This record gives sequence, C-alpha cells and structure tokens, in this order.
Amino acid sequence: MTAEFTERDIHLALDGELPAERLNDFGAWLEANPDMKIKAARFDADRQRLQTALGPVAYEAVPGKLTETILGNGSDLLGMRSWWRGAIAAGLLVAAAAGGYALGVAGGPAGIARASDPVAERAVAAHRIYSAEKLHVVEVGADQKDHLVGWLSKRVGITLKAPDLAPEGFSLVGGRLLPSGEKVAAQFMYQDYSGNRISLYVTQTAGSDETGFRLFEKADARAFYWLDGGFGYAIAGAVPEATMEAVARAAYRQLLPVAAKG
Amino acid sequence: MDEKRGAILAELPRLRRYARALVRDRDVADDLVQDCIEKALTRMDGWQSGDNPRRWLFTIMHNLFVDQLRRMKRRGTSVSYEEATGSAMMTEPSQLDNIAAREVLQALQAIAPDRRSALVLVAVEGLTYAEAATVLGIPAGTVMSRIARGREELRKELEDASRRRTIRVVER
Repeated sequence: MTAEFTERDIHLALDGELPAERLNDFGAWLEANPDMKIKAARFDADRQRLQTALGPVAYEAVPGKLTETILGNGSDLLGMRSWWRGAIAAGLLVAAAAGGYALGVAGGPAGIARASDPVAERAVAAHRIYSAEKLHVVEVGADQKDHLVGWLSKRVGITLKAPDLAPEGFSLVGGRLLPSGEKVAAQFMYQDYSGNRISLYVTQTAGSDETGFRLFEKADARAFYWLDGGFGYAIAGAVPEATMEAVARAAYRQLLPVAAKG
Repeated sequence: MDEKRGAILAELPRLRRYARALVRDRDVADDLVQDCIEKALTRMDGWQSGDNPRRWLFTIMHNLFVDQLRRMKRRGTSVSYEEATGSAMMTEPSQLDNIAAREVLQALQAIAPDRRSALVLVAVEGLTYAEAATVLGIPAGTVMSRIARGREELRKELEDASRRRTIRVVER
C-alpha cells in the first residue's frame, strides 16, 4: 500500500494537523522521498530554533506596569484560588526548590526549578526502557484507549485521562502498568510523526506535597514533573526542552482537576 | 479581583511572547501588550467566561498589530515595519543574545507580517489551525498556506544569514 502525500502534508504533520492514523503512512512516504524528508527535517529544525529563541520570553519577569493595569494598585492577591490555579497553569508560579528560583508574578526571577524527585527519576527510567521498544512499546494500544484509561485509572487510584497532545505534534501510542516503588504507575506513550517519543507517567506519592512545574534532567533525557494531591505526574522524553515543555504544559492543563470539570 | 482579570493575568507571559515575535523590540512589544490588555479590560463584558481567554486575547492583540501596521504604512513611505520597530533599535535582552536566536528572530522579522503571525501562533504558541484561523479572522486553509509560505521564507532568510556569516568569517 503506497499512500500519497504532498509537501502540504509536511506542514500538517509538523503542526499536529495530520490525523494520527495517517502518521505511519506519512513516515513511510518520507522514507521513500528523501527530498521531502530533508525538507521536513529542515522545517522541524527551524521550528525548534524559533521555539528556543522565543520560549524564554514567557519566563521573563512580567513588567509591573502590565500587571498593575490588570489588577489596579493594591489588589488583594491572596485567597484567589481560581486565579492561583490559572497562574500555575500558565507557568507563572514556580515552586521554590533547591537549585531553582523563587516564584515571581509581578517581578523577580521566574523560571522552572530544577530538582530531583523519585517520581521524575522513575519516569525517566521507565521512558528509557519502553520508548526504545520497537514491537512492545505499549501493553495496550491507543485503539483501545477507553479500556486503557479505565484500567490504569482503577489500578493507580485516580481518574486519569490520556491528554490530547495533537496540537503539540504527538499522538497516543498506548500505555502500560508499571511498578513504582511499592505502588503502581501508569505510563502513556506518545509519538510524533518522525518517531520521537515522550511518555506521561502518573503514580501515587508518599506525601501530599504540591509543587509547581519542575524539571529533572539526566544524561540526554529529561522530565517535567509536578506533584499534586498525593499524586506525581511526569512527562519524560529525550526531545528538545522547548518541545517537552510545550507538551508538559498541555498535559498539565488537561490533567488539572479543575480543568477536568469543565 | 474577578476570574476574568485572573485569566488575563495568567496569559501575560504568552501575550508578551507573541508580541515579541510580531515586533522584535522589547519595549515596543510590551506597548502592544499594554494596549491589548487595556482594550481587553474595556471589553470584558463581551467575553463569556467559558471562552478560551488565550484565543480572545490573541485576537485583540492581532487586530491591534494590524492597525499598527496600517498606520505605519500610511505614515511612512518606504519604512518597513522591521526597520521601524526591530533591528533599527537592536535592543537585545540578554537571554536572546546568542547568534542562533538572533538570526532566527531577525529572519522572522523579514517575512511578511501576515505569514509571521500565522507561523508563530501555530509553531510557537501551539494553536491549532482552527484556533489560529479564529484569531487571524481568516479561513483555516489560508492559515495553512500562510504557514507554508512563511516557513519557506524563513528557511530562505536563515540560509542567507548563514551565508553572510560564513562570508564574514572568511573575510577575517
């Protein structure tokens, strides 16, 4: 079976607009058309360059003038639960951690704390093992998504969902159940059109710590992770940091209990 | 403070980033954000809290940007927007101060503004074609073709830039 694609599809694939079920055929078409493959790689590289150049702007301290325009002067910032949540989702607030930065909304340094946690380490280890699999990358495939999500939710003990990461260019491959210390963890594996994989790892944690977004890096792999309500969540992979971060933020937004309601 | 103001506040980092992609100079970009949130605050009644605040704010910002371009065109004769707002001032925030980042941002300024905005909304801000279409007020198919042309232009600009860099190195 030879599926036909055009240059147009390179853009669609890159932008997550190509239907997930066509990605395999598209990959095969690229392999068969070296010119197109080079073009796709070039556009991908340019996009990553753009993301790398512009990404940091979102972590600059926001000028006080802008926040004042919105809040007026002397507004009561505390006790605004929904605002707080929204700000976390937008990556404005970052937990203070060893080697990280203090949080800053109206000013001061803002950034993503770099810290280690068993959840992040396990997520990266599990990612390394299973993302390298060719045949058995997942236990249950995306074609049985409802069953997969239901099963893992029951075993992990929280209502999970497999986030939609298509806008970030990743589609669900499937998932599996894993041991995590004395407990269990769920792993959802995603893949982009060129075969790069990232995984979402969710497990119960010992404490009920809450953190903002944190970054854990080990060798060439990294994980963005956060702890919330007795559970730890991590997005692990070896793709560029900007891509990982976009994916992690999208997953974070979709997995927030608040977001799950509406 | 209500939820809507909170939502606008939460979008500030992204609004600033989108603005910086549209106009390169930091202060000019923040002025655009300022105008955008001022306008947003006067229109909050028209915004349903269920609506996506990002799309709503990006739409306002885009319209302001288009107005600004139009004013520029009327005023100046042959001054390009890039010359007026971007490389002429050359204020580089320290994080962006490396060759690769500078080159790609310069290249971005060199491509047509309508392609630039479509490309950035999708490739950097992660909007879907449908969302970008709403923000830009054009059909999704047009978003797609602007992105395709934008990527070609960007590639060409970057190739020129790396060629210029090579020549400079050789001349030394």
